[in-house]
Amino acid sequence: MSFMKRFLSRLGFMALTVVAMSFLIFLLVEIMPGDVAQTVLGQAATEESVAALRETMKLNDPLMVRYGRWASGYIQGDLGESLYMRGVQINSIFWRRVGHSMLLALSALIFYVPLSIFLGVLAGVRAGKFSDSVISFLGLATMALPEFVSGILLITVFSVNLNLLPLTSVIPIGQTLWQNLEILVLPACSITFVMFGYVSRMQRSSMIGVMNSDYVRAAILKGMPKRYVIFRHALKNALLPTITIIGMNMGWLFGGLIVVETLFGFPGLGSLTMTAIKTRDIPLIEACVLFITIIFVFSTFITDMMYSFLNPKIRFKREDL
Amino acid sequence: MKTENVLEIKELNVHYTTLTTTVVALKDVSLHVGPKEALGIIGESGCGKSTLSYAIMDYLPLNGASTGQILFKGEDLLALSNKEMQKFRGNRIAMVYQNPYSSLNPSLTIGFQLEEVTMFHRGFTREKARETAIETLIDLHLGDAVGIVKRYPHQISGGMQQRICIAMALLCRPDLMILDEPTTALDVTTEAVILDLILELKEKYDMSMIYISHDIGVVNKVSDRIAIMYRGEVVETGDKKAIFDDPQHPYTRALINCIPRSGVVKEHVKLNTIPGYVTRRSAEESGCPFVARCEQKNSTCEEQYGMKEWAENHYTACDRAYATDVPAKKLQVDEGSIPDTGDAEHKNVLELDNVYRYFGHAGKRVRAVDGINLTMERNSVLGVVGESGCGKSTMGHTVTGLYPPTKGRILFDGTDISVSWRKRSPDVLKNLQLIFQNPGRSLNPSFTLEQIIGRPMKKLLGIESKQERRKLIIDILKKVDLGEEYISRKPKQLSGGEMQRAAVARAFSISPNLLVCDEPTSALDASVQASVLNLLVDLQKESGASYMFISHDLNVINYLSDQIMVMYLGRICEYGTKNEVVGSPHHPYTEALLSAVPDVDPTKTRGTIRLKGAPPNPTQKIVGCPFSGRCHRKIGKICDTTPPPKVDISETHYVYCHLPPHEMDIIATKKGM
Repeated sequence: MSFMKRFLSRLGFMALTVVAMSFLIFLLVEIMPGDVAQTVLGQAATEESVAALRETMKLNDPLMVRYGRWASGYIQGDLGESLYMRGVQINSIFWRRVGHSMLLALSALIFYVPLSIFLGVLAGVRAGKFSDSVISFLGLATMALPEFVSGILLITVFSVNLNLLPLTSVIPIGQTLWQNLEILVLPACSITFVMFGYVSRMQRSSMIGVMNSDYVRAAILKGMPKRYVIFRHALKNALLPTITIIGMNMGWLFGGLIVVETLFGFPGLGSLTMTAIKTRDIPLIEACVLFITIIFVFSTFITDMMYSFLNPKIRFKREDL
Repeated sequence: MKTENVLEIKELNVHYTTLTTTVVALKDVSLHVGPKEALGIIGESGCGKSTLSYAIMDYLPLNGASTGQILFKGEDLLALSNKEMQKFRGNRIAMVYQNPYSSLNPSLTIGFQLEEVTMFHRGFTREKARETAIETLIDLHLGDAVGIVKRYPHQISGGMQQRICIAMALLCRPDLMILDEPTTALDVTTEAVILDLILELKEKYDMSMIYISHDIGVVNKVSDRIAIMYRGEVVETGDKKAIFDDPQHPYTRALINCIPRSGVVKEHVKLNTIPGYVTRRSAEESGCPFVARCEQKNSTCEEQYGMKEWAENHYTACDRAYATDVPAKKLQVDEGSIPDTGDAEHKNVLELDNVYRYFGHAGKRVRAVDGINLTMERNSVLGVVGESGCGKSTMGHTVTGLYPPTKGRILFDGTDISVSWRKRSPDVLKNLQLIFQNPGRSLNPSFTLEQIIGRPMKKLLGIESKQERRKLIIDILKKVDLGEEYISRKPKQLSGGEMQRAAVARAFSISPNLLVCDEPTSALDASVQASVLNLLVDLQKESGASYMFISHDLNVINYLSDQIMVMYLGRICEYGTKNEVVGSPHHPYTEALLSAVPDVDPTKTRGTIRLKGAPPNPTQKIVGCPFSGRCHRKIGKICDTTPPPKVDISETHYVYCHLPPHEMDIIATKKGM
């Protein structure tokens, strides 16, 4: 079973990457200028109080010991305590934010993936015709707009002028995201704007390549109807490069929406990371960045597996039979 | 005896419109294919053979337009809508393509791709469709038909893939099958088997056939009638024997005469060449398409040009066909032996001492070159022949240092060069040059010929002065029949033949002693191949360099070589002078190879030896003779268990085989070519 072997070896690599990255993140935050205890107590603090705090926070232990403590805490599910909001367990705020981000990413994904694949296929099959020109132009135009520009555009049109959707994506105190699902619409649209161009153009060009391939020609000259040829013969092969592109952007989508979330004031992982960096809340930065890393690695893994599953050349080696 | 033709093409014209011009792809093509008849179409690339087949299938690019009539059993295909055409494609008319691997969908199983044909055209259920698919595969002598339908295309060999493609075409029992170069991508022994199979199926299914190929030998083998195409026109049609024995159109003659074949060797004849190359045709052009390259043109070529009956069933378009001032119709073929020029001193230029080259790591080791011992004499041409995967290219690359040998020693003029080219002295690099198969890919597209040819001069000869280099470059360009003006051109501005000439010029610019030519003419058309072969012969005579000439084409090897080495799975099967190997082969594999080469002369027929199966997996360790699994003369267990001994037939001729001498003599007297 070469697929199983591939699965296991990729899984191993994934774990290795996460471990290496966690060390790197720990080290980076460690070598950032400024003393943690000093930051916590403020510039006015006396040397003794700083030293005392260092002692209570066990900052004087050797690097590896501290890394071990930090990492083992993570494994047990303890993300530590926020520095900025003293006494607040990171766990208590972190996972809710992650949940919000996941929901946003998922709604964006459900939105843009079918849309861009469908329009990409359409443009590819009709390459050179009017519908292709329109789709390609749309793709280029939305790709050229950074998300803060398209976001502001969307807010102006749908919130300010048409008054259809909320201006910001803030959840009122005491309510949950589920009660305010409409706040997802504009951020998801703005993400779709960014991704549509990439994905549909990739889908278009791979579709053109596949439609010009010998095997599609052979299928047409076997007398198969065009629609059947497109969906049964061409699409599966033409999806492979698109899946790679979507997968590569999955990490960004699930953990790196800093600009979009900040713009809309959406309470997700991205805006949390932003706050953590602004307030130099080191444990929170570490938690956010590590989580984003894990999402990146994991989505790469999923992409890889999907790619091998869809591609029989990887799934079945010649020697297997 | 007039019966209705299966296909009748009447004055078919196809042209492509681009932004700037209109290119004529087919002009006034009229052809017919009778019931159970096989029509062969021959021509060089760009002559409209494939366009014709796609026009019949009504599958032209968007900018292509066709006029005329294509009558299939009386129905005009050109008048049909796309929907109506679908009922013919794959059902009444089926097609087989050049490249079987890329014509099969990589992500669908073979079974699926076979079943859908009858499911659509016949309305079969999947079960019934699978049954039909398996039955057809059995008709094609595919052993494990039930297992094959579950596989994906990349899991089977090239020969099997082409059989699947043929099976796919046969599923609906079509009336007409169009085969577009179906064996060009295959090895010669596989080709022989596929050709036999095509003939057998044609009889069995009562089909008509159009067989397109650039290879006259192959077309002769399968067709009854032949049409020669040049620049979108049919210039001559006739029975295959008439075309070969009594060619009328100057293009037909020129084409037949530029192909090396049995009995045509450099010692006796120079190959015919056609000056110039195939150009695109504009809409305004009229008259004979060949006129620009024809050596016998006169004022009638324009006005009186047109198809006329020359003899029964033999039509030709040239009005000067009966003229007497045309040169010999047939290339001289001399069956006599070649005189031995024994006066030359026998000094070795290259010695391979037990050379091995492995790829991959333990367990999956590919033994590409598996113990080669060889000496090459100065001023000689060694032809290395074998099927793809036999290690002939790898051996060439170990000599040039691209893949230094894993084990063993290579001596070049007495110097040990068993290392990578990086570690070789400039003197060795200068004297050992190489030419690749595809000049379009081996010449840097962003350099001019001056830069390409001048670079080794500067690096290896140390000629620093640009003026001096330019003078030498112009000299060498003239030698390869490229004018001075070519010096500033880039590879893209050259035709395929000119590119290969430039590659030859680059290699010869620093006068090497040994030239490794790796399939230098395989990607070229027949007429271009002839001119490059002639050039190589002339340059060799002049410079006294030696060639290691690697090719899968036995006719080319036979034309050019002094010694021939036959390789199989990284080892030598047979080695000897050209006369010895081709005239009296002693190894069963050489025998099979020689018998598989289709003859250009349709009057010569010979029994083809069908080899079983495919070469063994190169990763597997072979104890006995590598050929034993497919050998038609296997004598017993000894072939599998003991490596074959070296048997000397003469001082210059040896084979590695277990066969007793008297059996080898039987092979020799049967004589391959």
